[in-house]
Amino acid sequence: MAMTDDHPRVSLLRRDRPLRPDLLLIIPYLILSGIGLVMVYSASAPRLEALGVSPSRELEQQAAFVLIGFMAFGIVSMIDSRIVRWWVPWIYIGSVMTLIMVLSPLGTVVKGAQRWIQIGPIRFQPSEIAKLAVILGLAALLSAAARPMKWDRVVRAVALVALPSVLIFLQPDLGTMLTFGFIAAIMVFVAGASWRQMAALVVAGIVGTVGVFQVGAIKTYQITRLTAFLDDTSDVLGAQYNQYQSQIAIGTGGLFGKGLFHGTQTNLRFVPEQSSDFIFTAVGEQLGFVGSLLVIVLFGIIIWRVLVAAANAQDRFGQLVATGVAALLGFHVFVNIGMTIRVMPVTGLPLPFMSSGGTVFVAMSVAVGLAHSIWMRRPALAGERHGDDR
Amino acid sequence: MNGTWRLASVGLLLAAMLGALGLRLWSIQVTETDEYSAVAERNLIRVVPTPAPRGDIYDRNDVLLAGTETSLAAVVDMGLVEDDFAPELAHRLSAFLGDPDQPASVILDRFENANSGAQLIIAKDITEQQALTLLEHREEFPGVAVIPQPVRSYPYGDLAAQVLGYIGKPSAADLERPEVKGTDVVGKAGVERTYDAVLRGTEGVIKYQVDASRSVLQSLGEQEAAPGDNVVLTIDAGIQEQLQESLKDGLELARQLEMAQRRNALAFDNGDIASRLFIARETAQREAEQAAEEAKAAAEAAAEAGETPPTTVPPVDPATIEIDEGKVLGSLYPGLPIDKNGVCDPVQRIDLAVGSRTLLSGQRERTMKLEGIVENRSQRIATVDVDGEQYEVEEGDTFATTLRVIAITEDGIVVSHSDKWCPVRAVGVVEDPNDGSIIAMASYPSFEPSAFVSGLTQREWEELGTINAFTNFAIQGQYAPASTFKAIAYVLALEEGIYPMDRPIDDRLVDEGNKTTDGETPPSESETPPGEGDGTGDTTTTTAPDPDALVPLTSDTDLYNCTGSLRFKFNDGSSQVYRDWKRNGHGPLDLHGALQASCDLYFWEIALRIWNERADENGINNEDLWQQWAREYGFGTETGVDLPFEKPGLIPDRQWFREEQRKETGRVRANGPWVGGDLMNAVVGQGTVLVTPLQLANGFSAMVNGGTLWQPRVVDRLVDQQGEVVEEKAPVILNQVDMDQATSASLRRDMQMVVNGPIGTARKAFADFGPNVSSVGGKTGTAEIIKAVEDVQEVDTAWFVGIAPVRAPEYVVTIVVERGGSGGHVAAPIAKQVLQYAMNGPDAVTPLQAGDNAD
Repeated sequence: MAMTDDHPRVSLLRRDRPLRPDLLLIIPYLILSGIGLVMVYSASAPRLEALGVSPSRELEQQAAFVLIGFMAFGIVSMIDSRIVRWWVPWIYIGSVMTLIMVLSPLGTVVKGAQRWIQIGPIRFQPSEIAKLAVILGLAALLSAAARPMKWDRVVRAVALVALPSVLIFLQPDLGTMLTFGFIAAIMVFVAGASWRQMAALVVAGIVGTVGVFQVGAIKTYQITRLTAFLDDTSDVLGAQYNQYQSQIAIGTGGLFGKGLFHGTQTNLRFVPEQSSDFIFTAVGEQLGFVGSLLVIVLFGIIIWRVLVAAANAQDRFGQLVATGVAALLGFHVFVNIGMTIRVMPVTGLPLPFMSSGGTVFVAMSVAVGLAHSIWMRRPALAGERHGDDR
Repeated sequence: MNGTWRLASVGLLLAAMLGALGLRLWSIQVTETDEYSAVAERNLIRVVPTPAPRGDIYDRNDVLLAGTETSLAAVVDMGLVEDDFAPELAHRLSAFLGDPDQPASVILDRFENANSGAQLIIAKDITEQQALTLLEHREEFPGVAVIPQPVRSYPYGDLAAQVLGYIGKPSAADLERPEVKGTDVVGKAGVERTYDAVLRGTEGVIKYQVDASRSVLQSLGEQEAAPGDNVVLTIDAGIQEQLQESLKDGLELARQLEMAQRRNALAFDNGDIASRLFIARETAQREAEQAAEEAKAAAEAAAEAGETPPTTVPPVDPATIEIDEGKVLGSLYPGLPIDKNGVCDPVQRIDLAVGSRTLLSGQRERTMKLEGIVENRSQRIATVDVDGEQYEVEEGDTFATTLRVIAITEDGIVVSHSDKWCPVRAVGVVEDPNDGSIIAMASYPSFEPSAFVSGLTQREWEELGTINAFTNFAIQGQYAPASTFKAIAYVLALEEGIYPMDRPIDDRLVDEGNKTTDGETPPSESETPPGEGDGTGDTTTTTAPDPDALVPLTSDTDLYNCTGSLRFKFNDGSSQVYRDWKRNGHGPLDLHGALQASCDLYFWEIALRIWNERADENGINNEDLWQQWAREYGFGTETGVDLPFEKPGLIPDRQWFREEQRKETGRVRANGPWVGGDLMNAVVGQGTVLVTPLQLANGFSAMVNGGTLWQPRVVDRLVDQQGEVVEEKAPVILNQVDMDQATSASLRRDMQMVVNGPIGTARKAFADFGPNVSSVGGKTGTAEIIKAVEDVQEVDTAWFVGIAPVRAPEYVVTIVVERGGSGGHVAAPIAKQVLQYAMNGPDAVTPLQAGDNAD
């Protein structure tokens, strides 16, 4: 892949003006992380207590991840995206390597899928990192595209996404594959693809998906899980069990919720995976419609700020990275919350900043940090004061 | 920047997606929240059935025979065990419980095979101390709970085991009952089975608040289980215990007598046994003396060294030397288990590997070799060679007469080898002839019902199964009743006025030189030797006697001359000689003497008269007269006792005989009609007549109580937990036999004479009964099993039916000893002890001693 550096070299450390944090981005990010911790605790404590271990064990673990994530956010915010751009080939290649490693005997099988990799005491999910790598890779590739975009660029973009997709598919992790597709489509669109090119992408996606199903490469349980949510009457204790219980839990929350730590459904563990994939269930049950809406609005603000950063990015690479981050966040939020209320299938995509899990929190923090960095380094807008804070 | 509209449309798309979520949440959480709350309510509540305590079983004096105890079970709630922690928990539990059958690997296996919400019972019966430890150290055993569980207990071990039965997992048939669930226990045999519906009660329910893994959080209310009703038996635990003890001792005695006979036979054959015993004794004495010398030397040495005070070592007394006779005798009976006291074991278990051989005990020693095992689909077929004869056998097959395949493994075979001489079983019933209630009922060898609660190992199960310990032979064992059955013909004779044809007193033995040649073989002689009587009679056939010499007796006191052998004429003119069990006969006797001395001839003559006069002048066929009388007293059909698996017995007649011939069952000769000889056999309780011990007790009850045939029963009443009687099991009359009270009285008197009279066959057995021996009556019986195969000689079935008190009987005792020899020998002494206990109390029971070796 060619990542031509057609921008003039700039002194990256020279700043025209002070880097002011975007509080409209940071505050929702902090609030969501805080709500996430409380929810993780409320969802995990009863179970841990029953097991005879400290009820805050999972909370403490997640708090540590959150702190690491905050640091990652801060560090990435300080790095100019133009420096990041130099690293893109290595990030992409490294990510593909870890995806290969996870399929090797080094990978760990959890619930029928090989998603983890363990290096010393650190265990992480390469697929979460791959999402970042794909965003960065696509941004680098598409930022060099001519306008209107040429077909070969579209093909190269597809190839760039296809390689990690195949590796992810072997794990298998359908959620991440779909994320790739969504991100790629949004980024190609923003990069200036024509409607015909977009249509071709969509057709290619459909053909690819149908092909995979036809070949039978997808395991039956995945099809069952994917389609179960479409069928209201299918076995509520079987494939649909998780979603059904989750929907009940959220439904019982009502307008204002049952109150913190009073979520009988969540606390009684009818809802599985409650502190990771189904964390929103705890929100819906305990904080009700008001709390749920608050969470959605906070995500909306973050996405809005990321898109604003994209609109104001100093270069096309930055614009496309921020677009990719917005797409990533939006897709995760929609699919995850949609899953808990049965409008989307169960795909195992975590809710950013809230689901327990280290890799995903750090990866999402890095993603938002990238967008934040881009925002802070935006060129001055008309009428914006320049450097007078010094 | 160019193309901002594209970013704006992405923003709109994402906003629309989030908006859609908001709308959906509104509909779920605000519009439809009540519906979800209702569903959640159901989600939270689990209805858990609580087992109803099983009713108790008491004897007639309210002695608890089967109750329910609470045991503490350690249960692992799989929903609370994290996958990572399962191996550690398995290790901890295994170490804590210390059960060798449940090492950590086995527990872990169970964890891994369990559903995530399952509750596994890891230990059924833990001690209170263990329970406390588990509860106090919950953090070390996460997910482990202690749950009380009802457990059936049988406080008196094997007391009345076959009457009580046992409980176990339901079979497919049990599960068809609507109230039975797969996790229940149901009665599998005995009263536990027949009264299962009463005993089990009605399950209760507890409503619990639970979580997704079905862990109970709190109880929300309970509908209490209705415990089962208690069952009060007609059994008297004391008499039952005495009966079981006497049966056990009696069987032991029978085995010793059998071994004594064998030793005598051996000593007669060769002096081997004596010399071997002598050598064994000598060797043992020499060894003992040597040991004593060494001990003495050691003691002296120690005394010299001043370490211990000198001790004296007593010299060896030859009389105290004990030798293992079993070993010595065993060397003469290779392969036959003989215990230390030199007593035989009726069923021998043989484990044989492919290619190896073993000796089989028996009258003639045989060699068995396992040639090979072929696996044919799921079936294994073993090829076994017994003395050159090849058998291909599967599991459960019987072959070479004495052998039965218990199991075939990959490389070996397990066979039970029955020693057809060794007394195998003793069965007894005590019935109250006034209402049909069963006072005691047992068969030995027996089992402990509680073994089913804790679970039997495969080996234990096989071993108990090999000797049929679970079977209640009192109702399931069908035996030829032998001379005890002469009572039927006795009653018939008095009621119908049918007595033998008499012959001149001086008419001695038949001329035996006058045998028929092959060409003139009479119909009944060719296939079966009908009626060999009791003992070792044999049969010869002679031609044409003078019929004019015979005159019918007209009353029960007319004397009949029992010469020891009987010649009778067939329709075709040929005739046959029947011999009494007593070779030289009993001399002149009437009906009463015939019963007391158990004269076969007298009753054969009755059978012959029935046979010869079966067609009367009015054209009525009275051929089945005797069968009708037998059936009047309940023989040939189930008594309907309230116990499962009862057998009907058999009263043979012409119709049955034909049916068997048509079906080619091999139970009757293949050709020829039902003849007088068959009836003669039947009348003395031989041939194909079969009764259960209970039928005999019940039939005798009716005969001695004046003709009322009760339905026997073991349950007297059902009582609820408050002690209120729920149902009184009233005595049921099956049949009122139209018989003269004088007949009944006469029978009782003659039975009294069997025990007390000078010619009585049970006189010796009852000699030490006590002062009131005159109030005891009885009848002995010795059934001879047809010799099926040349090299296996069956030993007689010993019978005794006792009644007491004679004037108005309260007890009818039936005793059977399978392969036990003659009735007077071992069966009567067992009945003696039981009646001593019943009549005179536990202190009056005198030791068991062999009685007369008489029919």
